[in-house]
Amino acid sequence: MGPLAVNDIISSNTNFFLAFVIGIGFGFVLEQCGFSSSRKLAGLFYGYDMVVLKVFFTGGVTAMLGLLFFSLFGWVDLNLVYVNPTFLASAIIGGLVMGAGFIMGGFCPGTSFCGAAIGKLDAMIFIVGLFIGVYFFAFGYPIFETLYKSGDMGSLKISTIFGLGDGIFALILVVVALGMFYVSEWVEKKFPREEY
Amino acid sequence: MKPLHYLTLVLLILALIIALVPENTTRPYKLTADQLLAEIRTGTQFVSPDEVADKIIQKDPSIQLIDVRNPREFDMYSLPGAINIPLQDILSENNYDVLNQGTKMNIFYSNGATEANEAWLLTRQLGYQNNYVLQGGLNYWMETILNPSQPGSIAANDEIARYDFRKAASMALGGGAVSAIVPASDQGASKPKPGVVPVKKKKKASGGC
Repeated sequence: MGPLAVNDIISSNTNFFLAFVIGIGFGFVLEQCGFSSSRKLAGLFYGYDMVVLKVFFTGGVTAMLGLLFFSLFGWVDLNLVYVNPTFLASAIIGGLVMGAGFIMGGFCPGTSFCGAAIGKLDAMIFIVGLFIGVYFFAFGYPIFETLYKSGDMGSLKISTIFGLGDGIFALILVVVALGMFYVSEWVEKKFPREEY
Repeated sequence: MKPLHYLTLVLLILALIIALVPENTTRPYKLTADQLLAEIRTGTQFVSPDEVADKIIQKDPSIQLIDVRNPREFDMYSLPGAINIPLQDILSENNYDVLNQGTKMNIFYSNGATEANEAWLLTRQLGYQNNYVLQGGLNYWMETILNPSQPGSIAANDEIARYDFRKAASMALGGGAVSAIVPASDQGASKPKPGVVPVKKKKKASGGC
């Protein structure tokens, strides 16, 4: 029963190898979705191309349903699955910084490596900027430490906050995601752009 | 039909299924190591000898004493009403119904508290409820219930009350040297008659240990 690495069913080396294979698969899918084009990503903010939203929400919803079904079949123990701790204040500010970088650069960290892998210059420049940001944060850590650790809420799930079952929350999220898919279809029709 | 409509249909059906089925709780270990550690640190699994003695004397039907020592030791001495589940048989399927149930209060005991606590730890990690451990095991039981030592004359009231209870419990449960300990001057004043269990006194004393 999963998680495989936590329950010592596979060794940590095998775990890294699987992560490597999955990572290649992830990069391949990103490239095939056209995410290596910064125009496609910027399209999300101008409304002419909502594929980023659709792909990531489909991915999230699929993984969520998959995990819940795996748990239902007894294949994975959700209590042992790592849940990222929530730091509310730093998450909001970090989200704004990342969003601004996303619009200006036209990449997110994953897609920039994807773009660089097929030889896009703007993606490589973006990676340089990414590393400058990493160094800036690392060396300035004493300045950012308070902010970095503020709003600690522990490893929370939204379903726990609202006192809902995981299944009910999944249904709500699926309905919301589908609603967003239909809205983005409409937005794409409203703000069309022929070539990009 | 457009791809989006297919996606809508599939996702909605799956989400409806997952929302309607109850959560799967058939995990081998119900408690994580952190949760178990928290329970160990609070020590809520321990039941004091006084509490157990009181329940035995009252013939409380809600308790089930479980001796986790080996059968030979169990035959030599056991507490009244106890059943024998040696530690090595604790995971045996025959004992599942006894250990994982919602009505009785199971109290494990061994000579010290170690084996009983191990039994509790195993069953607790499997998520079983209502299992407890006799604090200090049989050794402490002998010391406190069967051969209670008399508190000094300036002892607090509840300590004396506890002693009275233990003396009475010792008589009811076949303890040894009680009559020898009691000085002649005390007789009549504080010595309870065998079989008359000072239940109320026990309640006051229960916080003591």
